Amino acid sequence: MTEATAVRPGVKRFIGIDWDFGALKSAGRTYWSFVAMLSIIAAIGITAWIIFMTQGAGVMAQRDGFTWGLWFSNYMYYVGLSAGGLVVYASVHLFGAEQFRPLSRLAVLQAGLLVMIALLGDLTDLIRPWRTAWMAITPNPTSPFVYTGSAAAAYMVLCFVDLWILITGKGGEKLAHRMTLIALPFAIYLHTTTAFVLALNKSRELWNTAMMVPIFLTSATASGVALLLICAYLMQRFGVFKFKSSMFRSLSTLLATVIILDLFLLVVELISVFWPMSAKPGHVDRMQMFLTGPYAWMFLPVFVLGIGAFALLAGRKTRHLPKIQIAASVMYVVAIFFKRYTLMSMGFALGPLGQYHPPYLPSLIEVFFALGLLAIALIFLTLGAKVLPLQVPEDEHAHGHGASLVESAPERAFEAG
Amino acid sequence: MNEESTSHPDSTAASLPQGCTLSRRSFIEGVAATAGLLAAGTIPGLLTAALPAVADASEGSTTLTGDEVLDPILEKDRPLRYPGKPVYYADPAGKQKWAMVIDTKACIGCRRCVYACVEENNIGRNSGFTYIQVLEMERGKIELESATLDYEEGGKPDKWYMPVQCMHCAEAPCVYGCPVKATWREPDGIVVIDYNKCISCRNCMITCPYDARHFNWVRPEVPKEEVNPDVPLEEKAFVVEKCTFCVHRTRNGQKPACVEACPVGARTFGDLSDPESDVSVLLKTRRVIRLKEELGTEPMIWYVG
Repeated sequence: MTEATAVRPGVKRFIGIDWDFGALKSAGRTYWSFVAMLSIIAAIGITAWIIFMTQGAGVMAQRDGFTWGLWFSNYMYYVGLSAGGLVVYASVHLFGAEQFRPLSRLAVLQAGLLVMIALLGDLTDLIRPWRTAWMAITPNPTSPFVYTGSAAAAYMVLCFVDLWILITGKGGEKLAHRMTLIALPFAIYLHTTTAFVLALNKSRELWNTAMMVPIFLTSATASGVALLLICAYLMQRFGVFKFKSSMFRSLSTLLATVIILDLFLLVVELISVFWPMSAKPGHVDRMQMFLTGPYAWMFLPVFVLGIGAFALLAGRKTRHLPKIQIAASVMYVVAIFFKRYTLMSMGFALGPLGQYHPPYLPSLIEVFFALGLLAIALIFLTLGAKVLPLQVPEDEHAHGHGASLVESAPERAFEAG
Repeated sequence: MNEESTSHPDSTAASLPQGCTLSRRSFIEGVAATAGLLAAGTIPGLLTAALPAVADASEGSTTLTGDEVLDPILEKDRPLRYPGKPVYYADPAGKQKWAMVIDTKACIGCRRCVYACVEENNIGRNSGFTYIQVLEMERGKIELESATLDYEEGGKPDKWYMPVQCMHCAEAPCVYGCPVKATWREPDGIVVIDYNKCISCRNCMITCPYDARHFNWVRPEVPKEEVNPDVPLEEKAFVVEKCTFCVHRTRNGQKPACVEACPVGARTFGDLSDPESDVSVLLKTRRVIRLKEELGTEPMIWYVG
């Protein structure tokens, strides 16, 4: 650490972190063109937001029949994706899964950024975002919205604090362990309350099922781990990180386990809806559209991609191949997007008075919101990968097993830095 | 550890029959209480599960002046999350408990209530919604899924019609769902929205089982000469709105616009706390139903057929 600081002049110290701005100067042309491309997408997103703010909510494709749109399915999706970061982080610091340690900083940063764009996505839907202050001033305790909103905001802060603790090494392994004990139940709380926003409505038969909560937890974990795996491969590809292949093997095993759990819960829900003596007409009518009609194209990929991803990861001879692992991960990340999207839009397919609405497709403005926010998160991640010391120092994971050594290693790094 | 793990199933096994006797006892108690209160001539408001049975029993024995029909309704009729903030464009709430009865046998589906409501309440002509939605249904069917909303003008004699609007539920899911307490139920039973507080999250539209709430996706436009000065217009841009039982009229002793406009007198509006009012008499003397009553929302609009 000392040598690194001495060699590179671009390193600046701020809030206990060595920000390596020098790395940006030495970054190549590809890196900057990627950042430029992201900036353009982000700018388009901001322009779309300005159009929305000046012209009103009519520029979106949402209407009374589709009360919520892409912003909400993305909220569920991003909040879910953030789970992967925590799973990895918790595995290291709670269960001692040392093979994930090199990934922990990246995982926490990714989780924080995802929750950030999830919350920003909510704000883009509100034409008077300042009124959300009422959520803090006069919160209604019976509204699940209050819980998921506050949980997401607190979780985002928690992630960034965690990242800071991991990088500075303040408090050593003990504090990292304690933070996990806070963060893990909190993450479950966040996913549960997000599911509750849908599940606690007796007016919407499709969502009004307790199964929503476990499905949210498994979908979140599966998609989150898959995204992390993709991210880790990309970072390795661009030479930012070096990971052991055993880490990828563990990640993909974890992924396969959660995928099959997720699919199992979905099948259980389908059976409980369609079984003749259990079927409730309202619920069946709505869920039937999962399988037939114009909504099916959104839902069937969930099954096809999900089973496909599991099959890829189950093959004993091929599952260790990076290409297979990446393909399965991409398939499941896409599958979960479709799952969130269908869940949201299917809930509106038949209104409370039984009126059919054709499938909702987001307007261009809404798509630009989503892309713009994604670009913003990616800019942060791309810059963070260069500037922030996300790579866990070699000595730290070499001594990861001995508790006393672990405690002293970050301390040393901190003092030296 | 071992002892604990072995004692665990034992304790659950022991608690199981106990739980059974408990529930049986409470069930018997409930039945006894119901019977006792029935004899006393009152219906306990808390025994929701027992209510339909009790109501049936009392209907058989009731005389035309039996007020016990109204008592459980009035008992549930209470303000919900009422912040004590006045509706600035209407008088303060009085002692009344507002309710409506719609006669589906009389309704001809002419939608005049809809048009009167649009004009009275400054609903944007470009907003694309109306507070009242009239469902056209086939004879012999009460099936919302096969009902038509956008039926041809006028109404047909071989169909029947069911106007649906905000039910001003005593257990309003929308009031429970609003994250910022921007909507509440007034002491006289009218569910209102604070247009200046609504954050436009539209969760109330998700929670409403009657599709009664509508969002202004555009700035509502009303021709200048048609603007009703008694009702807000500008404030309704990009917030949720719905039927208010014409709060600005009813609290001044007038009837809601839809009631006045109905050419066949299918709508009756009045005060439930007055046992002689039209709605009270209808509830006491006629067989009435409420839409989606099984959800426990306690709607304040009854249908009589």
